Amino acid sequence: MTAVRNPTDWKSEAMRKRIAGRYAAERRFKFAGLFAVVLSASFLAFLLVTMMGNGLRGFTRTEIALKVDFPASPLLLDPKAITDEALANANLPMVTGTVAKTVLGEKADDLLSPTAWISIRDAIKADPMILSRTATISVPASTGLDLAAKSKGSPEMEAEVARLKQQGILSTGFNMGFLTASDGTDPTQVGIWGAFKGSLLTMLVTLILSFPVGVATALYLEEYAAKNWWTDIIEVSINNLAAVPSIIFGLLGLSIFLNLAHLPRSAALVGGMTLALMTMPVIVIAGRNAIKSVPPSIRDAALGIGASPVQVVFQHVLPLALPGILTGTIIGMARALGETAPLLMIGMRAFIATPPGGITDPATVLPVQIFLWSDEVSKGFVEKTSAAIIVLLAFLLAMNGLAIYLRNKFETRW
Amino acid sequence: MTEEQIKLAIENPKMSARDVKVFYGEKQAIKGVSIDVGMDHVTAFIGPSGCGKSTFLRTLNRMNDTVASARVEGEITLDGENIYAPSMDVVQLRARVGMVFQKPNPFPKSIYENIAYGPRIHGLAAGKADMDVIVEKSLRRAGLWDEVKDRLHDSGTALSGGQQQRLCIGRAIAVEPEVILMDEPCSALDPIATAKIEELIHELRGRYAIVIVTHNMQQAARVSQRTAFFHLGDLVEYGVTSDIFTNPRQERTKDYITGRYG
Repeated sequence: MTAVRNPTDWKSEAMRKRIAGRYAAERRFKFAGLFAVVLSASFLAFLLVTMMGNGLRGFTRTEIALKVDFPASPLLLDPKAITDEALANANLPMVTGTVAKTVLGEKADDLLSPTAWISIRDAIKADPMILSRTATISVPASTGLDLAAKSKGSPEMEAEVARLKQQGILSTGFNMGFLTASDGTDPTQVGIWGAFKGSLLTMLVTLILSFPVGVATALYLEEYAAKNWWTDIIEVSINNLAAVPSIIFGLLGLSIFLNLAHLPRSAALVGGMTLALMTMPVIVIAGRNAIKSVPPSIRDAALGIGASPVQVVFQHVLPLALPGILTGTIIGMARALGETAPLLMIGMRAFIATPPGGITDPATVLPVQIFLWSDEVSKGFVEKTSAAIIVLLAFLLAMNGLAIYLRNKFETRW
Repeated sequence: MTEEQIKLAIENPKMSARDVKVFYGEKQAIKGVSIDVGMDHVTAFIGPSGCGKSTFLRTLNRMNDTVASARVEGEITLDGENIYAPSMDVVQLRARVGMVFQKPNPFPKSIYENIAYGPRIHGLAAGKADMDVIVEKSLRRAGLWDEVKDRLHDSGTALSGGQQQRLCIGRAIAVEPEVILMDEPCSALDPIATAKIEELIHELRGRYAIVIVTHNMQQAARVSQRTAFFHLGDLVEYGVTSDIFTNPRQERTKDYITGRYG
């Protein structure tokens, strides 16, 4: 005998409870998601706000309009014979100190940057005739005064700022030098250009080496290699390589490129090669996934009208996989751009005060520069470090923007 | 099936297969099929799903080469030339034996480029003007010209499903093949688009040897002059379409046609 099934009561208490439970679960899930988004967004906002708060000050510099009475100064220079040698022999640092003391008082040494004399030298060079009159020259303030003028400094310096402001000779403006100068010992004089150029050259080397090799590897593994034990091993190795800590690649670069091949130390060439080793597996993995996601029907279509395998790969598969490959490449490059550890191993942490002229010149890169500055004792480097981070983030943002642009450009062909 | 039956069906074959066996690894998908395909007919392969009709179709232009585990035994000739001989160039073979697939698969390029691609890689056009002629002729033959002549540079993927499939037929025609293989070309299309493709097959008959795989028996009856019934990797029966549908000799054919299985 078969049991008679009662018709389902869709309005029963248990049924209502089940429905209510389902809606509640959905709401919980939605709120959990929203909470996660808000949390990560606020972390990001916090990061950006603190970076901007500290870093934007790093782009500015406090200057003192120093009134120099050249005829009365102990400077012995002939306006008609201004040469580099004459300027070098004139003992400008001492003269600047003396002049400053007469204008700013006894504590002048603490108020001016140790490199203030350079501004005076440049002014004389630009117009030797100022030697015969009194001129007002803007000279950089000391780190202590700079900090006191921009945010919080020591009480003495705060008092000095108030005094100088009253005289109307203190001003804080955009520091062009930060974008055009290189590393230095005085935080008021350092700039980011050397490290930026080093990063640019290093990335160039990395891209030129890792992109073609990575794409060719991905194409070969996907399109030509037989699926056997060997290709499995290679695949596992590449996946492992992508997960190897970056400092190991630095050791590899040190032992192969420097100790074995004797390539120039701390150069963008070696840095780029080391980072290329690190980036390549990322490109291979992204490339293989992009190639895999090209629909097989396109391959069939091309083969079906008599395209050769090479034509299929280069005229159909590669163009369709390119957006994915590019995205993977940019992600790999962005990671390489932010990489510090492997570059320390190959000597890119040296103090380099001139921007590199080529890929074989000693160079440093942005993240290493940030690392070096964060280690400095002088308080003035704090805001410089933050400012350098802003530059690095802007660089990364520009790269990602480029990736998105390229991807969209190539995807419209679909 | 006997030799006479094969001979009976076709006078002078464009393609003929003798005792063709196809293996996927250990599994045998085709168990010794012999068949002749004529120039003047549309030949339909029918049979239940998994009977091997598509597999057999793909051996005719060696598309099975792309499947690593596939192995083909026996002999298939095109104009008396063995297509599995080492001297046969696969690329040229596939230009001579074109293929239209189950799902319309135009290239993600313009309509013009879809047609022009084949002639370009085989060097069939002498210049831009020549290519324009080939593109127009191919699209006219595919019955698509009037619908797309004003937007040749729009993407081929923006067309409707039926138009895409006709574009694919035009693409195959553009390289002047001798044989066109169609692998269930209408299974992804609505009835109106299907009717248009069938009409097109009628018009193309005689110019190309056409082989069409279908699991729609009405379609086979409508478009073909010769029908081959496949079952479990065997060619069960091959003959004039009207005979197969009205007077099947084999019990299995009769069961399939009357809807007993499949």
